[in-house]
Amino acid sequence: MPRIGVFICHCGENIAGTVDTAAVAKNAADFPGVVHSIDYKYMCSDPGQNLIKEAIKEKKLTGVVVAACSPRMHEPTFRRACAESGLNPFLCEMANLREHCSWVHEKGEATTEKATDLVRIMVEKVKRNRPLYPISVPVTKTALVLGGGIAGIQAALDIANAGHKVVMVEREASIGGHMAQLSETFPTLDCSQCILTPRMVEVAQHPNITLYTYSELESLEGFIGNFKAVIRKKARSIDETTCTGCGACIQKCPTKKIPSEFNAQLGMRTAIYVPFPQAVPNKPVIDRKNCTFFKNGRCKLCERVCPAKALRYDQEDMLVELNVGAVVAATGYQVKDTDFFPEYGYGAHKDILTGLQFERLASASGPTQGVIKRPSDGQIPETVVFVACAGSRDPAKGINYCSKICCMYTAKHAMLYRHKVHSGKAYIFYMDIRAGGKMYEEFVRRAIEEDHVNYVRGRVSRIYKKNGKLIVKGVDTLLNSRPVEIEADMVVLATAMVAQPDAEALAQKMKVSYDENKFLSEAHPKLRPVEMNTAGIFVAGACQAPKDIPEAVAQASGAASKVIGLFSKDELSREPVVAVVSRMGPPDFSTCIGCFLCESACPYQAIEREEIKARDGRLIKTVAKVNQGVCQGCGTCVALCRSKSIDLQGFTNEQVFAELVTL
Amino acid sequence: MAEFEPKVVAFVCNWCTYAGADLTGTSRIKYSPNVRMIRLPCTGRIDFMLLLQAFGQGADGVIVSGCHPGDCHYTAGNFHARRRWILFRRLIEFMGIDLRRVHFAWVSAAEGAKWAELVTNVVDEVRKLGPYQSFPKRLDGQPKPVEVA
Amino acid sequence: MEALQKKARALLEAGTVKVVIGYTAGTDVERARAFFARNAEQTQQLIFDARCCQNLATYLMKPEVKALGKAALVCVPGALRTLMQYAVENQLADETVLALAVTDAGEVVELPKFAAVEEYLAKMPRGLTPEQQQELDRIDKLPLEERWAFWAAELARCVKCYACRAACPLCYCSRCITDVNQPQWVPVASDPLGNLEWNVVRAMHLAGRCVDCGSCADACPEGIRIDLLNHVLAREASAHFGAEPGYSTRKDYALSAYKPDDKEEFIR
Repeated sequence: MPRIGVFICHCGENIAGTVDTAAVAKNAADFPGVVHSIDYKYMCSDPGQNLIKEAIKEKKLTGVVVAACSPRMHEPTFRRACAESGLNPFLCEMANLREHCSWVHEKGEATTEKATDLVRIMVEKVKRNRPLYPISVPVTKTALVLGGGIAGIQAALDIANAGHKVVMVEREASIGGHMAQLSETFPTLDCSQCILTPRMVEVAQHPNITLYTYSELESLEGFIGNFKAVIRKKARSIDETTCTGCGACIQKCPTKKIPSEFNAQLGMRTAIYVPFPQAVPNKPVIDRKNCTFFKNGRCKLCERVCPAKALRYDQEDMLVELNVGAVVAATGYQVKDTDFFPEYGYGAHKDILTGLQFERLASASGPTQGVIKRPSDGQIPETVVFVACAGSRDPAKGINYCSKICCMYTAKHAMLYRHKVHSGKAYIFYMDIRAGGKMYEEFVRRAIEEDHVNYVRGRVSRIYKKNGKLIVKGVDTLLNSRPVEIEADMVVLATAMVAQPDAEALAQKMKVSYDENKFLSEAHPKLRPVEMNTAGIFVAGACQAPKDIPEAVAQASGAASKVIGLFSKDELSREPVVAVVSRMGPPDFSTCIGCFLCESACPYQAIEREEIKARDGRLIKTVAKVNQGVCQGCGTCVALCRSKSIDLQGFTNEQVFAELVTL
Repeated sequence: MAEFEPKVVAFVCNWCTYAGADLTGTSRIKYSPNVRMIRLPCTGRIDFMLLLQAFGQGADGVIVSGCHPGDCHYTAGNFHARRRWILFRRLIEFMGIDLRRVHFAWVSAAEGAKWAELVTNVVDEVRKLGPYQSFPKRLDGQPKPVEVA
Repeated sequence: MEALQKKARALLEAGTVKVVIGYTAGTDVERARAFFARNAEQTQQLIFDARCCQNLATYLMKPEVKALGKAALVCVPGALRTLMQYAVENQLADETVLALAVTDAGEVVELPKFAAVEEYLAKMPRGLTPEQQQELDRIDKLPLEERWAFWAAELARCVKCYACRAACPLCYCSRCITDVNQPQWVPVASDPLGNLEWNVVRAMHLAGRCVDCGSCADACPEGIRIDLLNHVLAREASAHFGAEPGYSTRKDYALSAYKPDDKEEFIR
């Protein structure tokens, strides 16, 4: 038999001024199941809460309805009061007599009648409330960081420094990402590798961080606190434990003409190689596709010169299984190549470069030792044209968004060029100048005023070769759209920043959402920028959207703080407002008929398949099962289920029906 | 004879419309007292049968309201709800159920004024249409939800 | 017919299937009924003519039929589409049923895999026929009161026998929503509210899934035009969500998916 207590609050004059609270309490006393019904000035006050606590004990209440302000205000207060008297907090509901009644209606009979109805609705609901207990999900305190660029490095260090274990997985042979390829960074023009490499070393040496380079994520299963990741360690062909990084193999390798990825195809590397001298780990990798031994079975020079006997030609890919509690996706970006532009020659002209290629030319450790030289003939260019917004902000090219960093790095490139070639002329064709960060505007001003970079507002319609020069045809919109033609020695296109080519496949492996540009989707664009809809997976850096280094670092620390928060307890305690699939004894075991239309609808992929087997192992049926660690309690599955085999704790079908029937 | 006052049931989502209605309250904007709100976590939770039940219980009008598309607290519940309503509306229209008595809206937590306006408009419209007499009602004596032991 | 009997016999004799589910002569000359041929001799009773329109795929969901072993199913187009939808809804695994399609010329086409069924169906016209569209339009054009009067009159004849549910292959829930009494979604009595809610629930539960086999309207002893309800939702689901149930095994349930720009001019 239900024994419901009803407590009507006056809220001073806020409710009592418009609603006849005494009358409501009197009427409520006659509702079926109600054994205690009072009204009081301030239910949320200490004496008010004591009235509830005492009534629970004296009248042995099985449920409580507090008719007062909005539950969004004080539901936790009253639930706590109930819990303190031994009544399960989920057996307490609130009727909103203030925001939804006394504050929005005139004093009168209709308002008091509505108040009475609202109380009756909640009494009917609470009679069908079940005690609910927070769901505990154990947490494995190891984080998986995907990507070894600056964002991944920052996140890994933050989490490791907080005392938790981190596993970092990086696809290339070395961590560092694109930041390692940069010469100097805006707006300070400090040397990129100088600020990055100490961090890289810290990652490698940190006792809490396990680093897997030349490795990729093979699969990710599980849920928050309990992921199982499988990492594929690709075969380096080197025994990392014995290799000393002396580099003798690299020096002796006869295959020297492979375009270097690190140098953006502007320089060459050998088949056995380390991507760049400051690589972490400083252990080489054999590019089996281009290695003479792997192609024709002859050579093995590296093995002969290796003092540590570290060569392992028969090494195979290795799969490593990991249990992790959280994942940080920091897989970065790539830039569009020059062949994306038919109007600029389809990439056929060697002296038309991407911004990243220019970085390598400008870099002191680059293919030209920091001298700006034309790739075609090695001459120093006297006139360089920089084209901003090359591909970005262009619906016709399928890239609607702004790549954010190009305005800044174009100014930087022009400045670097002018610093190195004092007599050189630099032109930048731009649409807008987006310099919103700290000290950014001042930086661009320097380019214009101190380094005399010529900014031309207009787009470049065509670039073609003539007599060894690149003819750049553009327009100056600030001078009445006067056509501008420049004979350039080199052109640098600030090509669009886009998602990695396998971003979609990776997102699908992790079961996270991504947008039409294949950038990973954050949970909420403003208020949850580092979480994803998949609980336990966080995002940082340019894989989420184009951004510069300070933002990537900030976001990485943000993601790390979420992970650290998650790891701060041994168990994750979750609100029990989750969906549950009906289960019962044989022969049915569940009314669920296994159509799994709910599975595809769940926004959090919280519905799994459960095989129900007989004692002899025979499969009887496969039914839906809700992962209570992931379910957020929206109830979409409940409305979708035809046989009503799934229900939402806290908002069950019975409860909602009962509320309706009181009308 | 007392003037007809319509009974309107509103199914609202907790995160947007319920909060928006709270804002209406804190802003002290007045609207007609004919509405009874049923709070649910998300519009995705709203079974279409509940709307028919409301009419069967004697409601003269029904409002369904939730977060704007793209803003759902559970990311996609309102998208699923929207699809459901597109089909449901078509079906009941085909069967001759009065669509003027069924209203769908997106009311965010910041749209306190919109909620008041919506309720007032719907109540006014339904008042003009009169009581929904042609809709079959749950018979008296039909089993009410069983008293929980 | 002969080709079908021959094929059935061959399948049973070879042990390829344990039962051939087809049609045989019914209780009177105008009717055919379902028949389960378990051995070669029984195949002589199989018929296939204009009387054979019942969707036999329904039987595949019955535990008693599943217990017989691998079945061959004589399929009208509606039954083939049903197999596709069963695949989408995880009710049938591939290659567990041998579909036998009978062409107009009386040839029997064996379709052992879902892919084969899909290919066979791809050649058929899909969507509502012009006649079906016209019937819907005719009712749509009626003014509100007349539309309601039409349906009130149709549904008043409903006696809640649930023959429509039994005949429908996609009504395979072991516990139907009408069997739930806490809460009681649909009043069980044959009263105006109960009849209305039952038919609305069934139509909505089939939205985006109904393969238009016509069994429901055929089964209704009162001849109520419940198929119109399924058609109007099929038209809507197809037009707005591209739903084409029964033509592919792709997991594509209209109500489990959404597009950010689904139309919504009716929402304030």
